[in-house]
Amino acid sequence: MCQFMTYKVKEQAIKKNSLSQRRDAPAGGEWRQRKEERWRGQGKAQAREVEEDESCEQHGKEAVPRGTCQTMCPARELQDREVQNRLHRFEMLAGTERVRRPRGDPLRAVKEYTRPAAGKDSTNPTDLRPPAVLLKTVCYLIDDIAASPHLHPWTEVYSFVFDRLRGVKQDMIIQRVSGLNCMAILERTVRFLIYASYRLCGEPLWLYDPRINDTHLQESLSWLLDCYATETGPHPNQEEFQALGLLYNLGSARATQHIMELSGRLRTSPAITLALSINRAFLERNPVRMLRLARRLNFIQGCALHRHLVTCRRDLLLIYSHGYCSRNCRFPLDRLAQLLSLDTSLAAQLCQAYGVDVNQGNQLVFSKAAFTEPGKGKLHCKMYHNIVAEKQRELSVGNIIHGCV
Amino acid sequence: MAHITINQYLQQVYDAIDNHDGSFCAELLSFKHPHVANPRLQLASPEEKCQQLLEPPYDEMVAAHLRCTYAVSNHDFVEAYKFQTLVAEQQLQKKGKGQPGEMLEKAAEQLMSCFRVCASDNRAGIEDSKKWGMMFLSNQLFKIYFKINKLHLCKPLIRAIDSSNLKNDYSPAQKVTYKYYVGRKAMFDSDFKPAEEFLSYAFHHCHGSSQKNKRMILIYLLPVKMLLGHMPTHQLLRKYDLMQFADVTKSVSEGNLLLLNEALSKHETFFIRCGIFLILEKLKIITYRNLFKKVYLLLRTHQLPLDAFLVSLKMMQLDDVDIDEVQCILANLIYMGHIKGYISHQHQKLVVSKQNPFPPLSSVS
Repeated sequence: MCQFMTYKVKEQAIKKNSLSQRRDAPAGGEWRQRKEERWRGQGKAQAREVEEDESCEQHGKEAVPRGTCQTMCPARELQDREVQNRLHRFEMLAGTERVRRPRGDPLRAVKEYTRPAAGKDSTNPTDLRPPAVLLKTVCYLIDDIAASPHLHPWTEVYSFVFDRLRGVKQDMIIQRVSGLNCMAILERTVRFLIYASYRLCGEPLWLYDPRINDTHLQESLSWLLDCYATETGPHPNQEEFQALGLLYNLGSARATQHIMELSGRLRTSPAITLALSINRAFLERNPVRMLRLARRLNFIQGCALHRHLVTCRRDLLLIYSHGYCSRNCRFPLDRLAQLLSLDTSLAAQLCQAYGVDVNQGNQLVFSKAAFTEPGKGKLHCKMYHNIVAEKQRELSVGNIIHGCV
Repeated sequence: MAHITINQYLQQVYDAIDNHDGSFCAELLSFKHPHVANPRLQLASPEEKCQQLLEPPYDEMVAAHLRCTYAVSNHDFVEAYKFQTLVAEQQLQKKGKGQPGEMLEKAAEQLMSCFRVCASDNRAGIEDSKKWGMMFLSNQLFKIYFKINKLHLCKPLIRAIDSSNLKNDYSPAQKVTYKYYVGRKAMFDSDFKPAEEFLSYAFHHCHGSSQKNKRMILIYLLPVKMLLGHMPTHQLLRKYDLMQFADVTKSVSEGNLLLLNEALSKHETFFIRCGIFLILEKLKIITYRNLFKKVYLLLRTHQLPLDAFLVSLKMMQLDDVDIDEVQCILANLIYMGHIKGYISHQHQKLVVSKQNPFPPLSSVS
């Protein structure tokens, strides 16, 4: 049975490869071309199916790889990286950081992410960590690295945790992990990435790339929401994450439709109701309402929303530039600052960035002709973070990411 | 290959399956293999023969493939592609595992490669060209993309058909289906004018007897028309059993926000299932505009106190709205072109133009 299945999978893989590459191929040489493809091995997209095949053949009945590595980093990798001097400074044995070849600390080393490659066997059980170990690894990464007050700069902390979380995700994919452990890991990953998107906002591109963060955040979020949909409950954190998903993807028709298709009970839960109202206000272009509602969000929700605050404030200045456009227009700066949830001097700076004139008496002169989009790099989102920052108060990073607020 | 008999061909297929020779078997079902030119294999009804020699599901697959070769030899390319895709879908259904969305995606991939073959057929003359299969395949692909919610994949198909010189010569049925999906896509992208064009075409050209199809088109055409200011009549709604829209229509034209919210929540499930709930929410802005126009007509002045608008909103039981929000809503209506005028913060008044302060909805994009 297994043998037949293997052949079927290979056949599919080959067919797919040859179909997609055969588009403009002449009628004659296909037979040879396909034979060569078979020898050369399948492409990246087929890597997972290949892994299934290999494990199927190697382990007989066992179709899915099951990890046995009980440490955060497989012994073999630790040794290899030690010899090749590829340890991260967070993984080095204390006291050996400055020697020519630092020693790895098995209690601090974490398996790194490596790209899958044809011919590379990533299914060796001794290299894979079982779900319980993966969860412990994630908790270590949060408590001892991300939340640590001693490790600086945080951009480096972020890079390390980001990469090692990716390694955890990879182990989960290979072992087809699902269930409580999977969701617990994904929940923490999503919170970490959302928090990072706020904390590292404005950092130079070579230290933090918001687009890469976004890609992984969306992937993890999607997987998590899939788990909620397919696994039997209860899911105590589902309300939180559905709301976070909508806030992060504010204004997206796809995200909104997804929320609308949730069960009535979920949709009427407080967090999701608030997120929906904010979403509605954003879509209706009612920034006054949106900012007012945003004050009710908690810290992590604020982090998820924060990148949309720029658009929200811009919208306000834009529609006011049109709505108040008259020669005798005088709009008090204080009032605007209140609406924007900023202090007066920051509000003035923001107005100037958008070409809105502030006169002697701290009055704004709105004009639709004067409104301009700020030049690239002129507007620093980070300067206007206070609406989110003030929600953080005494919260520790660890509590934020674990979700026990 | 070009001269073997049907029995020999089927024997080869059987041997290929038996020996797990996937690639050879694939060739025997492929259109690029010379066997398709063999007139002995071009049969209109090969099912019996196939059933004799092959086991299911291969008998169906091969039969479909042979009917395909027959269709091609008769230059009936639409039929041909129907059968060849059947072959592809059969293979995918066999797999059985995974989510239904996954299989649909794979089916879409196969259909897409068929589409590419059609689109790139530059060698044959216009009567024999595979390009005639393009619209049919696009329509199938649209159905899948809408089902799996990956609408962005529709764009290359639309572009390809638009740039083809055959686009007006396809059959009316195909064109109606095509315009229906393109209209829905435009709606999703908030391009309401083109959406109205496409969906209206589909509605008018849809055959009078297909009530169900006409109703489906109407479900999407109505919100678009309402956004452009054209309300449907009660007769129309009754004729097509779409009374869910009745209250929505009434509330929008009266500027009654309260009734609108009630109507939307009452039929929420229906609207969400059709995917139009979010578009109907956009009617709120039109409703604000209609409500505020009433205030203007009542006060009969060009300098309207902001308080008047606040009162009108409170009458709609919108209790958490304050004067700041009123100004914001008005500013947005001015920005969108629904009101011609400006707000004076010092005098707390909305000053509207003496000429046509509330331009007709159809003139505002």
